[in-house]
Amino acid sequence: MLLRLATSNIKNRIRDYIVLLTGLVMSSAIFYMFANLATNQQLIKSNLNFQYASQVFIFGTILLMIITFVYVMYANTFLLNMRQHDYGLFMMLGAKRSRVGALMVLETLIVGIGATIIGILFGILITGSLSGFLFDRLGLEIQHFNPLYPKAVAITFVLFALLFVIASFMNLQSLVRTPVLQLLKQSDSVDKFKFSRVRLIIQGIAGIILVGLGYWSLASIKTLQLMAIPIALITIVLGSYFIFKSSILLVITWIKKTNWASKKLNGFTLSQIMFRVHDYTRILTITSLLFALALGAITVGAGFHREIPMIANSQSSFTLSINNPTAAQKDSIKKLSGATSYTYQQKLDHKNVYYNQAELDTKPFKEPVPSSDFKKPTKFKNASSKELMENTPPDFAFLAGTPKPANIKIVPDKAFKSAKGTNQVVELVTVKDIPSNYKALTKLTDEQNKRYPSAVDNSGAGAFRSYQFVSSVFGGLEFIGYFLGIAFLAMLASCLMFKILSGTAQDQIRYNLLLKIGTRRSLLKRSINRELLVLFVIPGVLGIIDVLFGLQMFKPLMIDPYYNISILVGIFVIMYLGYYFLTSWLYKLIVLPEK
Amino acid sequence: MSEQPIISVSGLRKTYGGRSEKQYEALKGIDFDVQPGEFVGIMGASGSGKTTLLNMLATLDQPTSGTVKINGSDVTKLHGNKIADFRANEIGFIFQDFNLLETLTAFENIALPLSLQGVRKNQIKTTVYQIAAVLSISNLLDKYPTELSGGQKQRVAAARGIVHNPSLLLGDEPTGALDSKSARELLELLTQINQERDISVLLVTHDPFSASFCNRILFIKDGVIGQEIKRNDRSRNEFYQEILEQLGTFEQ
Ligand SMILES: Nc1ncnc2c1ncn2[C@@H]1O[C@H](COP(=O)(O)OP(=O)(O)OP(=O)(O)O)[C@@H](O)[C@H]1O
Ligand SMILES: [Mg+2]
Repeated sequence: MLLRLATSNIKNRIRDYIVLLTGLVMSSAIFYMFANLATNQQLIKSNLNFQYASQVFIFGTILLMIITFVYVMYANTFLLNMRQHDYGLFMMLGAKRSRVGALMVLETLIVGIGATIIGILFGILITGSLSGFLFDRLGLEIQHFNPLYPKAVAITFVLFALLFVIASFMNLQSLVRTPVLQLLKQSDSVDKFKFSRVRLIIQGIAGIILVGLGYWSLASIKTLQLMAIPIALITIVLGSYFIFKSSILLVITWIKKTNWASKKLNGFTLSQIMFRVHDYTRILTITSLLFALALGAITVGAGFHREIPMIANSQSSFTLSINNPTAAQKDSIKKLSGATSYTYQQKLDHKNVYYNQAELDTKPFKEPVPSSDFKKPTKFKNASSKELMENTPPDFAFLAGTPKPANIKIVPDKAFKSAKGTNQVVELVTVKDIPSNYKALTKLTDEQNKRYPSAVDNSGAGAFRSYQFVSSVFGGLEFIGYFLGIAFLAMLASCLMFKILSGTAQDQIRYNLLLKIGTRRSLLKRSINRELLVLFVIPGVLGIIDVLFGLQMFKPLMIDPYYNISILVGIFVIMYLGYYFLTSWLYKLIVLPEK
Repeated sequence: MSEQPIISVSGLRKTYGGRSEKQYEALKGIDFDVQPGEFVGIMGASGSGKTTLLNMLATLDQPTSGTVKINGSDVTKLHGNKIADFRANEIGFIFQDFNLLETLTAFENIALPLSLQGVRKNQIKTTVYQIAAVLSISNLLDKYPTELSGGQKQRVAAARGIVHNPSLLLGDEPTGALDSKSARELLELLTQINQERDISVLLVTHDPFSASFCNRILFIKDGVIGQEIKRNDRSRNEFYQEILEQLGTFEQ
């Protein structure tokens, strides 16, 4: 009997269960993605040239745990609300409290652990496909990275199992305390918002001070060193919470007094927000954090993505040099995108390499102009023959393809032709964008290395060699920036979506009643749009501010972490808005009855 | 009979179920009028079509055929915003359940129809206080629905139903969830609203006690109106006895 009641409940509320499970699966999948990087010491040590990398990951894990905790507890309340009517009914029909309690613990654990297992599998899949996609797109190779990392699986599983054990015992507590009648009434109890204004104002001020302190500590990472991160973590989390809580209540009570609030549905919209202020503050805090993490990570990723080729390209006017290219090599050079190339004749004897002066006059070799302004792309100037011979730029010196640098002789046409030695050509290839040609360039470089081993390993002619070197230093950060940015973005989306969709059951009744007493649909839609807009905009704004200060942390590492920041934020905001429209469309579809 | 009836229903039919589904004819041709200022009850067994009829009157549902005229205009022809505006201006509702928005205080609940009509804030205040005084709920205005008893909730709902001065108040078993004392209070209130504010009231109920507060009662059986009785000048108690008798013969 109990079993039939339980299964019929699932059938009836299939949509709610889907919302709940998707939310939980997403959160464990994303936690796994993060743990995969954070627990892989080898990966961190060999790829992240960042003094505090492993500590940053530890704090990141803590932050994500806080977010996950809030999320899981919220999901748990949702589950309990869904089930409590049934539990009340069971008890009314004579089931013992202990029996119902056991049933409830079992249900919570099954739902939770089931979702976690699916989530981890899903996480492994996304980690694999997302990293593959990123490596391909970014032109990177990362050592020691493995989508299936057992330690991360174990940690994710243990953490979530633990969370659900806590959650089910919390449920048990509340079941023991709640009278049967109240369980049956299934009243979604209204938050009591009898609050003291003074206390709220103090909380608000404390919140601003805390967040300010957090920003300051991020900006002073040079002096505070590692301490900056935990300080920022604590102060920003707490501060955001206080700010949201006090500002929402204060602002809304204030607006409620104005004339605007008594127009049409405005009062109702305000109350809808206030009614859920406790849920809202918690969810808004974590969404603002996720927003900041996602935007911050992507900004860092994009920053390195821009800077790595920039540093590489500042070393050399060309990307790659190939001696005596084979037909196959010529073919693959043709296939490079945005590529230009030119060749020089060379003559080699046992210690000299000869160049034809006439050729260098028509196709001058370019060398970088030294500059102290790192933010601008490097300029190149034509190098004179004299400079090339006496003050040879390193990339020119390697063009001979000999194990040892040869003496450079630039001679007039006649002398070149009469000089004795083996004939050779060198082709200098330049591509506009290194990352998008990464694979082909790697292949060409490897072949060149094999045929013409250079004196010093991995140093040689061309920007691509520099690119390989710089990306071995910073590529890990770039990859992790993008990888986590996308993961956090997905978590942000699922968080808001979950929050919004989990309220539909009660909202549906409310909107129905409003329609019955003669509210125009357009008015209801506007009310919904506004309510959701508040839910999106507030954490978005705080998230952007968080990022603007958080990027201070990367000042010691990057040339200019704020480069193009307004464009990045703009793109991010557009995506976020798109997501807002999607959510509000979906919500209206669910909540408003058909015509 | 020179006055235009407030409600005029003719040939009203309602068939549930689409083409492919099983068809069920809930209303099979209903005709009746309600004059302004009348307090009319609609009675009938469970499943006889009372709620269906009320939903047609309230424009919450479309009839299969027939017309419903309220204040002379055919409401079955209304669409979209016109329906919403019609409900907002002409009709007040009290339902059995789910009456109040639990996110709003009693005051805000009552004020809602006025806000929807764009009445100014001060005007809203005076009107709500006035109504609250009449319904003796002035001391409840700051409370949220969860802090109110069932009877108090229904009184707040009644206040919201009449605050915008509709010409017609519709109730579907408004006393259904109340104990007898609260039920009596609410019914007396409806009578008072009906007499003092000249709002016509149409009440769906299966409870003879509730019905005895009406001037006239229509009995529905199997989707048609079978019987009609009037109170005339009799006392409520006498009328109550007649209702009981009628039910006895009508529902066998
Ligand atoms: N949406 C619907 N679809 C199909 N049939 C319906 C629908 N709503 C009502 N009915 C049927 O129409 C008939 C009349 O229903 P209605 O709700 O009007 O009864 P009622 O007189 O209000 O009963 P009660 O006193 O129990 O509330 C019933 O037989 C019911 O099964
Ligand atoms: Mg009914």
